[in-house]
Amino acid sequence: MRCNGLAISGGSDSRFFFPTNSSTIYTASARNPSSTVLFPGRPVFSTRIRATPRASAAAAVVGDRVAELSFYELLGIPESGSLGEIKQAYKQLARKYHPDVSPPGRVEEYTRTFIRVQEAYETLSDPRLRAIYDRDMAKGLHLAFSARRRYQSDEGMEEKSEWKSHWQSQLSELKRRSVNKDSRGNMSWGARMRRRMEDL
Amino acid sequence: MAEQAYTVASDSENTGEEKSSSTLPEIAIGIDIGTSQCSVAVWNGSQVELLKNTRNQKMMRSYVTYKDDIPSGGVSNQLSNEHEMLSGAAIFNMKRLVGRVDTDPVVHACKSLPFLVQTLDIGVRPFIAALVNNAWRSTTPEEVMAIFLVELRAMAELQLKRPIRHVVLTIPVSFGRFQLTRIERACAMAGLHVLRLMPEPTAVALLYAQQQQQTTHDNMGSGSEKIALIFNMGAGYTDVAVTATAGGVSQIRALAGSAIGGEDLLQNMMHYLLPNADTLFSSHSINEIKAMGLLRVATQDAIHKLSTQTSVPINLDLGNGSKINKVLHRQEFEEVNRKVFEKCETLVTQCLHDAKVEIEDVNDVIVVGGCSYIPKVKDLVTSACKRKELYKGMNPLEAAVCGAALEGAVASGISDPFGNLDLLTIQIATLAIGIRADGGNFIPIIPRNTTMPARKEMTFTTAHDNQTEALIVVYEGEGQKVEENHLLGYFKIVGIPPAPKGAPEISVCMDVDASNVLRVFAGVVQLGSYQPAMPFMEVRMPTVDDGHGWCAEALNRAYGSTLDLVSVQKKI
Repeated sequence: MRCNGLAISGGSDSRFFFPTNSSTIYTASARNPSSTVLFPGRPVFSTRIRATPRASAAAAVVGDRVAELSFYELLGIPESGSLGEIKQAYKQLARKYHPDVSPPGRVEEYTRTFIRVQEAYETLSDPRLRAIYDRDMAKGLHLAFSARRRYQSDEGMEEKSEWKSHWQSQLSELKRRSVNKDSRGNMSWGARMRRRMEDL
Repeated sequence: MAEQAYTVASDSENTGEEKSSSTLPEIAIGIDIGTSQCSVAVWNGSQVELLKNTRNQKMMRSYVTYKDDIPSGGVSNQLSNEHEMLSGAAIFNMKRLVGRVDTDPVVHACKSLPFLVQTLDIGVRPFIAALVNNAWRSTTPEEVMAIFLVELRAMAELQLKRPIRHVVLTIPVSFGRFQLTRIERACAMAGLHVLRLMPEPTAVALLYAQQQQQTTHDNMGSGSEKIALIFNMGAGYTDVAVTATAGGVSQIRALAGSAIGGEDLLQNMMHYLLPNADTLFSSHSINEIKAMGLLRVATQDAIHKLSTQTSVPINLDLGNGSKINKVLHRQEFEEVNRKVFEKCETLVTQCLHDAKVEIEDVNDVIVVGGCSYIPKVKDLVTSACKRKELYKGMNPLEAAVCGAALEGAVASGISDPFGNLDLLTIQIATLAIGIRADGGNFIPIIPRNTTMPARKEMTFTTAHDNQTEALIVVYEGEGQKVEENHLLGYFKIVGIPPAPKGAPEISVCMDVDASNVLRVFAGVVQLGSYQPAMPFMEVRMPTVDDGHGWCAEALNRAYGSTLDLVSVQKKI
């Protein structure tokens, strides 16, 4: 489930976050190692450091921990779960974690959890996205999965063009990264990661 | 949690007070300010109750009249007859005017009203005035609305015997964020704090959720998901929602709305009966206003009658030489307003499509609002949804305000021993929010119908080599070009490291919380380090307060495309 022995930061909206407790080492997603930003200052993004032990389902977890759960674990359903089960689990978790029902003072935390629950629901309730998610999960990449970022604008994308755009975006990303690398004095990805570790 | 001794509200007039969802000591009341009528409801401890004014009315006309220099609204005032409202001294239809500029077609449609709506077509707020002692006295839609809200507040305080501060207001789906700030402004002027602004059909959806939950309790049913389509057509706006309900949770799946309504039906009929109406009434002389009022009352009356009869005679002497004597048939009415009804159908189909719901999967079709009595409206919704029966469990005029009152109680942290308040609405964004990039294109970051709260991020890059600054211009709307959308605000990010175009990574993140507050974050992503060299920017939007088009034009004049951004195609 883990990749390169490092916890991969959560999906779609993860680039704006705070370091939580130091036991979690944040790297960027494997596909985009340059993209993690950590910046302080905003209560919206603040995360309480909690000693909550990791539980098997979201029922007992709020805040950042939910990012480590698979969408199935988060919704508390088996991987064979039906659409009805997904919908029911989503509504139950919404009742629990929607910021409107959060206790005062824990709104940000609940908001983060709810957004993640929402993402899980949106992915698993769409047969096509669920298939891709299942495929990625089999490869251990599910933690980096983001339904929305992948399909930001092209809902009805066909399989063929999907592959093409995957390649194209990967190519353009590689190209951009190599330009960036030059601007960073030819520092390798490994070197950057090492530095990052040291900084922690 | 103890309340803070004092808080400093944002400096910006627009943003008003901070909306909070923390527990509050008092129950917020629900207010439905309609284009034509309005009502107030509150959770009385066991159910929702509509409040009545001293004349025992639950529905009050939304207008403010400036007779004898003292403004008085439809809550306390008693009109001696309908024509008094049309004498030019009364301002109404404020909901169609609030937060709009004078280039807006909806504002232009208001020019045939008896009070003065003057437009200069330059993208500023229109000049609105009431006739007081033979002079046009200027006012603003916010002011008129505030006067009206003060009366509603006084009425509620008298009945509930406690001060009222927190309110949940219903709003049309098509309202943009700028318009919402104007509503908040009007409330602030009336000393009211807006706890939540709720799109009208989502308020109806909440009432439906409560009804379904009660039915499930009674039948000991399984509580499976029920899908409802809600069609709400009032005097000023038509809104559609698709909601999926289970266990008291109303998940809004899609919303669609437009500024069409009974007012358009009325004006189309007036033009049909008197084809040169616009030229006849263009200068707003006393006689013209009178004739206009006569025509308006007669037409309105005829439309009402056509809901139950198939034809109605009209005999009208406008006093200026023109007389109308004819029999109006229901088919004529439907034909004259064909475009309005077609638009209604489009909204229904679009909403179903956006919700990704098949017509067969819709359990209930709910039609509410003042226009729901029009046979054609019922017909078009039933045929668009391919069914024979409409949902019957709701009063079409009271559904929205009841839903707002439920939300008011829920948001105030009130719980009900019988579980009647175990409710939740999962709202969605009614319009896309994005920034200007790739030339003059609008690049949505939070698409329409995104569930709230939401946080979305997108990466952009520079358009020119060695570009060190970039403008983030935030818009809201559905158009592909920025000009077709509403400007919400703009700011500049600086300190981009000099690099070939396309190399720097500029991150723009948008955050909408559960009470619909929008924050935009942007900054340069520094590779391989945690601490950005330059601090990120955080801006609460909207920041523009007037003349939407002007700021964008001025920015364009000053900077051209020098500070442009290009979106980075990243699908993986």
